[in-house]
Amino acid sequence: MLISRGKQRLLMLLTYAVLLGFAVYCLFPFLWMLATSLKPDEEIRTINPTFWIESPTFKHFDNVLHGSKFMTFFKNSVFIALVTTAASLLISIFAGYALSRFVRFRGVKLFSIAMLLSQMIPGVLLLIPLYLVMKNLSLINSYMSLILAYTTFTVPLCTFMMKGFFDSIPYEMEESAEIDGCTRVGIIFRILMPVSLPSLVATSLFAFLNAWNEFMFGFVFINDESHRTLTPGISLFKGLYQTDWGSMMAASVMSVLPVVILFVFLQKFLVGGMTAGAVKG
Amino acid sequence: MEPIELERPKKRAPKWRVAPMTLRERKIKRIAYLFVLPALLFFLLLNAYPLVNVLLDSFQFKNLMNKALSGFAGLSNYREVIHNEYFKTALWNTVVWTVLSVAGEYVLGLISALALNQPIKGRTIFRAIIIVPWVVPIVIAGMTWTWMLTPDYGIINLWLVKLGLLKEPYYWLGELNTALITVVFVNVWRSFPFYTISLLAGLQSVSRDIIEAAAIDGAGITRRFWHIILPQLKTVSLTIIFIHVIWTAINFDFIWVMTEGGPLYSSETLPIMIYRYAMQDYNFGNASALASMMLGFMISGFILYYFFSVRKKGAN
Repeated sequence: MLISRGKQRLLMLLTYAVLLGFAVYCLFPFLWMLATSLKPDEEIRTINPTFWIESPTFKHFDNVLHGSKFMTFFKNSVFIALVTTAASLLISIFAGYALSRFVRFRGVKLFSIAMLLSQMIPGVLLLIPLYLVMKNLSLINSYMSLILAYTTFTVPLCTFMMKGFFDSIPYEMEESAEIDGCTRVGIIFRILMPVSLPSLVATSLFAFLNAWNEFMFGFVFINDESHRTLTPGISLFKGLYQTDWGSMMAASVMSVLPVVILFVFLQKFLVGGMTAGAVKG
Repeated sequence: MEPIELERPKKRAPKWRVAPMTLRERKIKRIAYLFVLPALLFFLLLNAYPLVNVLLDSFQFKNLMNKALSGFAGLSNYREVIHNEYFKTALWNTVVWTVLSVAGEYVLGLISALALNQPIKGRTIFRAIIIVPWVVPIVIAGMTWTWMLTPDYGIINLWLVKLGLLKEPYYWLGELNTALITVVFVNVWRSFPFYTISLLAGLQSVSRDIIEAAAIDGAGITRRFWHIILPQLKTVSLTIIFIHVIWTAINFDFIWVMTEGGPLYSSETLPIMIYRYAMQDYNFGNASALASMMLGFMISGFILYYFFSVRKKGAN
């Protein structure tokens, strides 16, 4: 309508070309990772690499699963990420509710400034004192140290996300529940939670991804194989396997898998959450 | 996003409620404070307290390897850090790393957002594919690219040689002049989807009417883009660029996983330096001084941004 038909067709072709280019750019490393993990060593070490695998093998997967502590790392990561998600969700539901409904109190307003500022404080700068705090509490080499650190850094964003969702729910619903004798906590869990299920999903997805992907604190706080999480564990494989790229890619495939599965199902929520996060800062 | 817009209550409380607090209001206040308490505790114990500690420690001698030396240090930690042989390199690398990453991410984000904003089939699928790099752990992204870039059997080298662009495989991550740039490239790959999604949301709110009006007045596609679409994306753009300048400058994972700051400090940035001071030399005093300096840089950046955007708004 705004441009001639010929130009429109050209624009459409161009759009497809650009998007296709981006798709290849974004997916290629993953496909190559998968291909490498399934190839026998001779096919990895060749100067004519292809996606076609002559004799696919699960040797590398077997190697990683049985020849290393991969499963321990994996379980640790799942546990820590789940606890972090639950904890930050619970904390941010209440904090977000307060920010949405009770900003008229000065204390709550101050709290909202504190949350905003804490989003700006990067983890690296707090690495040393946090390490000392954990050491003094003798939490080094424990799940608790990571759960506490991750929860601290995810709560602010989750709180703002929850606040945004609560803002969109009319207050009248709560008033009538209150007249019927429902307590505040009751209101949150019986009235608001069921309505804001998608937002809960988005928020917990964020918390989970953050905890699952975090590297630095896991690397510094944990020195003990039995408590190590996946990301530092994998980075240490580099020393263990030297140039056994097949095994390293097999480990990568297995640690990306849960994230990708979650992502495929919850992609829609994630986009909404990212935009909310970007808009709220 | 507005710079810092603190929420105001939507409806001002009626006068009769403001005067002495009613019993009900007092009860609500107690509940409100109770609700923010857990989050506040986390903030105070694991954010505010450590932050104050960093500032205090930066003026103390604190070295776990040499416990005899302790007490007030004045500015000597700062002096030591600034006179470190590699401080200037690390500072310059941080600037290069941040500027190039953010610029690259913005360009790719903008192009992909513009393409995704066209009314074509399969948009959702393309959008999903483009976000994928952003959800995988940095460590995995770093490892996979390291493998693809290895000089012996890395596919990128082999292809570049085959295409005739390179004479022989090149050790991208191991040479002084390409290590940092290569990590920037991988960082751009992982981080640009965030820009795509934010800019796409911004594009979708650009009013069709104005674009149509401009088209009727005879503005071509490029003109419409530069004079109408881009200016309307200004707020979103400023926000994501500002956030990402901070996120990138303080990023530890990428560089550590791919090069550990090497070879010969050629990709060392300030966060890597903080880590080395703290966890390799156990010199917490120096590490805190460097961390405080970074904090200072960030705060000045924040203030600049704030005044810039406030003045802009006042002018309009």
